[in-house]
Amino acid sequence: MAMKPEDVLGVIAAARGDAVCVPTMTTAPAWRTIAPDDLSVGCVGFMGGASSLGLGLALARPDRRVLVFDGDGSLLMQLGSLATVAGAAPRNLVHFLFKNGVYHTSGAQEIPGGGGVDFVLMAKGAGYRAAYTIDDLAELKRRLPSLLAEEGPILVELHTGLADKTPMTAGMGTPFHQQVERLRGELTGA
Amino acid sequence: MPESIPAPLIIDTLKDTFREARVALAAEGVRTRHDHLGWILSVPDTHQKTVLAALDKERALRVLTCSTEDEANAVAAGLWMGGEPFVLMIQHAGLYASINTLRGVAMDGRVPIFYMIGLLSREKDKDPRESRHSMVRYCEPLLDLFGVPHARLEGPDDVHLVPEYYRLAQKRRGPAAVLVGLETS
Repeated sequence: MAMKPEDVLGVIAAARGDAVCVPTMTTAPAWRTIAPDDLSVGCVGFMGGASSLGLGLALARPDRRVLVFDGDGSLLMQLGSLATVAGAAPRNLVHFLFKNGVYHTSGAQEIPGGGGVDFVLMAKGAGYRAAYTIDDLAELKRRLPSLLAEEGPILVELHTGLADKTPMTAGMGTPFHQQVERLRGELTGA
Repeated sequence: MPESIPAPLIIDTLKDTFREARVALAAEGVRTRHDHLGWILSVPDTHQKTVLAALDKERALRVLTCSTEDEANAVAAGLWMGGEPFVLMIQHAGLYASINTLRGVAMDGRVPIFYMIGLLSREKDKDPRESRHSMVRYCEPLLDLFGVPHARLEGPDDVHLVPEYYRLAQKRRGPAAVLVGLETS
C-alpha cells in the first residue's frame, strides 16, 4: 500500500535536524504545515527545478545537508538534472522522490510512463552514489537516520499516494521571493 | 568592429568582478565557505567556447556545466541563498528555452542573475535586431519584453560592461544581461 505523503514528510521532519529542505508541488502545502517556520524554500512556478535549486544550496553550503522533496512528474520536466547533480557530486544532497505516477496538481493526469518509470535505475545510471526504493513507512523510519548520514548524492524513491492538498487547493503560501530572502538571511547571516 | 574578444580578457574581468562581489558580500555580513572566487554556470555556448575552454584550467573559478539553462537558473538561486557569487554563460537559444525559469527565479524570486548570452550567427555588419536569423533578431526584444536590462559586448573595449551589469543585477535584485555579440578568441 502506498505511503501517505503527509506521513512521509512527518517522519522526515522528525529526523532532519538542521537540514535545508526544498519541497515542490504536492509536498509544499503539507510541508508548510509540518515545518512552518524553518529552513525551507519551495519550488513552485519553475517546473521541475527543485533538484537544481537544492544543488545550488548544497554547493554553496557544503556544511549543511540539503533535502529535496521532488515529484515524479516534476523530475521528468528536468530529467537532465540527474546528470547535473551527479556530475557536481554534492556529498550533502539527499534527493527524495515522491512517486505517485500522476501530475496531481493539474488534475492527476498520468505522467509519461505512469508508475512504471524506474527513477532508481535512472539515478544510478546518471551517476548518483546510490539510489533506493522505499514503499513502507516503517522501513522509512528504520532507514532514515542512515540515509540522512550517507554520503550523497543519493536518491530515495518513495512510493506514495496522493497528498490531501495541492498548491491549487491550498494556495501557494509565502511568495517565493520572501522565502528566498528569509532562507538567505538564515544561511548567510546577511 | 573588432574581430573577436580575447578569452583571457573576459576571464580576468570575471575574476575582478567576483573579487568585487566578495568584498560586497563581506560588507553585507556574508561569510564564504569556499576558497574560489565564484561560479560559472554554463550550458555550452559556441560563441564563448574559447572562454569555456580556458576556464577548464582555472582554479579560482568553479565551472558547473548544466544540462539545461532551466537548471542553471535554479542552481543560481541556490547559490544566491548560500551567499555565493555566480555568472550564467549561455546562448540565445538557451535564453528562449529557459524564459519561464528566468521569470520564475530571477524575476519573481528577485535573484540577481547576471547572464552572458552568446549571439551565435550574429552578422558583424548588421544590428542584431535586423539579423536574418530569428534566434539573433528576437533576443533583445525578448529581454525588453521581460524588462531585463541588457548591453552588447562587441569588442575588447566593452568588457567594462561585465562588472557594470553584474552590479546592476545586484542593485535591482533581478536579471541583467550582456550579449556577447562576437566570438571570443
